[in-house]
Amino acid sequence: MFTRISNWKSLWPPIAIFIVLLILPPIIPRFYTYIIALIFVTGLLAMSLNMVVGHGMIFQFHHGVFYGVGAYTVALMLTKTSLPIWVGFVAGPIVAAVVGLLIGWFCVRLTRLYFAMLQISLGSLIWTIVHRWYSFTGGDDGVYGIAMPSILSSLNSRYYFVLIILVICLILMYLILKSPFGASLLAIRDNPQRCEAVGINVRRHQLGAIVIATFFAGIAGVLFVVLEKFVHPDLLFWVLSLEIFIMCLLGGWFTFAGPLLGAAIMVGLRTFVSIYTEYWTLILGVILILIIFFLPEGVMGYLLEKFGPQASKVEERSSI
Amino acid sequence: MEFGLAALATQLLVGLSRAMILFVVCAGLSFVLGVLRVPNIAHGSLYMIGAFAAFSVFSLFGGSSTGFWLALILGPLVVALVGLIAERVLFCRLYQREHLMLLLFTFALMLIFGDLVKLIWGAEYRSITTPPFLAGSIPIFGLPFPRYSLFLLIIGPLVAISLWLFTNKTKIGKIARAAAVDMEMVGAVGINVSWVFATAFVIGCYLAGLGGALVAPTVSVTLGMDHTIIIEAFLIVTIGGLGNMWGALVGSLIFGVTQSFGVLFWPQFAIVFPYAAVVIVLILRPTGLLKSVW
Amino acid sequence: MLRIEGIDKSFGEFMAVNGAGLNVGKGELVAVIGPNGAGKTTLFNLITGQLKSDRGKVIFMEEDITKLPPYQICKKGIARSFQIVNIFHRLTVFGNVQVAVLSQQRRSNRLFHPAKNMAVEETNNILESVGLLDKAHSIAGLLSHGDQRILELAIALGNEPMLLILDEPTAGMSPEETIATMDLIKGLAERRGLTILFCEHDMDVVFGIAQSIMVMHQGRTLIQGSPEEVRQNEEVLKAYLGGD
Repeated sequence: MFTRISNWKSLWPPIAIFIVLLILPPIIPRFYTYIIALIFVTGLLAMSLNMVVGHGMIFQFHHGVFYGVGAYTVALMLTKTSLPIWVGFVAGPIVAAVVGLLIGWFCVRLTRLYFAMLQISLGSLIWTIVHRWYSFTGGDDGVYGIAMPSILSSLNSRYYFVLIILVICLILMYLILKSPFGASLLAIRDNPQRCEAVGINVRRHQLGAIVIATFFAGIAGVLFVVLEKFVHPDLLFWVLSLEIFIMCLLGGWFTFAGPLLGAAIMVGLRTFVSIYTEYWTLILGVILILIIFFLPEGVMGYLLEKFGPQASKVEERSSI
Repeated sequence: MEFGLAALATQLLVGLSRAMILFVVCAGLSFVLGVLRVPNIAHGSLYMIGAFAAFSVFSLFGGSSTGFWLALILGPLVVALVGLIAERVLFCRLYQREHLMLLLFTFALMLIFGDLVKLIWGAEYRSITTPPFLAGSIPIFGLPFPRYSLFLLIIGPLVAISLWLFTNKTKIGKIARAAAVDMEMVGAVGINVSWVFATAFVIGCYLAGLGGALVAPTVSVTLGMDHTIIIEAFLIVTIGGLGNMWGALVGSLIFGVTQSFGVLFWPQFAIVFPYAAVVIVLILRPTGLLKSVW
Repeated sequence: MLRIEGIDKSFGEFMAVNGAGLNVGKGELVAVIGPNGAGKTTLFNLITGQLKSDRGKVIFMEEDITKLPPYQICKKGIARSFQIVNIFHRLTVFGNVQVAVLSQQRRSNRLFHPAKNMAVEETNNILESVGLLDKAHSIAGLLSHGDQRILELAIALGNEPMLLILDEPTAGMSPEETIATMDLIKGLAERRGLTILFCEHDMDVVFGIAQSIMVMHQGRTLIQGSPEEVRQNEEVLKAYLGGD
């Protein structure tokens, strides 16, 4: 599949960015390394959400639950069992995807708004259980001080680990979106009724997309634990889910890498605004209102409109 | 886990009184949802502002009984005013846009209001005390039952009746009801749709503020109140039937009562009960128990 | 090939289809006509599964498909186009047809192979046969109405159906476009051995190419027969000239 990349030139920007990211950690202050790694994790989470929301118009409004489930799975396996650490790393996304399958199965029968409400209710139920089950999950305190294997003991090594996983996931996501599965998903987004008439089992397809997206969200959850070495019920709280959704919108949810950009903007802004004021949420709210009024296509959409190829509004782009 | 009928009955009443506050809040959310077709995520923030505003009025009058009653009256009005300003200055410009943008806008408002409350009132816990005759408890079924809960059990139905009278007997109310069902028709008949929206929104804000003022004596008034109440309100409104006031009542009752029974049977996981009840209802009846306006 | 027996469908009080019946033989070109509101589109929706009938049977190739969901009915070999243009607006013309072709090839679920290299020949063949090959990379939503209607047809062809159901294929077209489209349809039927069931308002079109005509009125089947039989039938004349 790599031999048929027709447009090598379009790969220069991402490769260049990747090289820059590779050489950063030794050069920049530790704090910035941490923030960029956090952007990687959050960006992966936002990209995973966009697989269903932007590319499938599935109203997955509590996506954070699967992130949290992945994170808690690996955290609890590392702290409560003596299984090898890598088992936890693999179990995280798998458990997240299983939960995604279960929740998705119930929700996929419903249309948009009701899909969202059922998912929010199921996700909130999980949140309340995690929040209250002090003996198992640490309840409101969360779980802190999770030990990482010695290869991952330094911040830089964790940075590289997260970056590598992110790149692998991005490539996989890209391939999936460009595959017949992805093309059918786009068609379903456009016109689910016609897809049915054309022989596609829309519900099963959407469920498949949800499982894939939640799997990647679980990976993001594992990466969160690797980076931060703690978990907290806030990961499963609805506010985070809405924030990820906004990252997708902010970056441009009909583009491929928009959510990454949205995550970078949100995390970056939050970090730097918080240095100067404790009222970061106020600033975020104002920025959101500005975006709503002036940049409805999101930042990426706006940039593409101004600087990108003319037909860029549609998914048939091969460049990022 | 041994308890008699009395304990059960008392818990039931506690649950009902808790449900009354939920109902006041949810009625407002449902009303706005029905007329504007937008879920107002900032509704919880308005509830929180109501609680803090009530606290301020209360302290302004030295924490006296007068202060309490004035807080109950003025607090919601302050919130209604805030809502009116937000609506006229910004919100109304978005009515032509897709619902997603409106939803996002309300989320932005929630963020802004949350920090504004922190800015104005700070991060400490606040509280209000009720006037003496509402404080303490009276024996019901031989067990102590808070007088304030009794007060709530009276206020709740009063609000329900007032709302019902408003939407069924007053001109504005009937227009709002018609608008919830068919906005275009209302506009076609020459009524200023924008003002209908504004009225509905302000009423919703007032109810949120009233809920906040009512809850203030029973809990610590803190930041973060907005986050918890809004998710509960959304779930309640959904299980009740979108835009349906009686649905909000039914949903609130289910939520409040299941939570009370949770407290009785499994205190650590009390809050899980109502959420589980919501999940069960939504799986069986995804569009809600009562008819939705949509 | 297709047989409909005693189909009923009501929406509340309103009986949209009332005991309708239809017979389509292999390789035939069958038209369903009737005044507005006669229930033609509802009947089509009942055949292809968008609606569930209250009573009656739809039998395709000796198999009862009455209760099947739309995507399974499609897999049995029935494809349809819709009265209101029902394409994938944001995809390209090529992409539109490719979705159907990939579905036909049971490859809609392939995960890691680039879609743009799959089913290219088949898709281009279909585009060429309907005359849209030069517009293959245009966005479907930006096409002219006439082209969109042809794309509508092309998508249905992507399923390589045995039975093609067309709901008012020439609606909104100019006379020239109508003739061109009907020639296209007739040509496709002959070349690919398709069985075609369609409904139309334009009587010239219908009597021009249909081999068998079924007349509906107020949800019932009045008659099904050859064009001459239908033209001379008294009830049909009454329905068209009398009621509406």
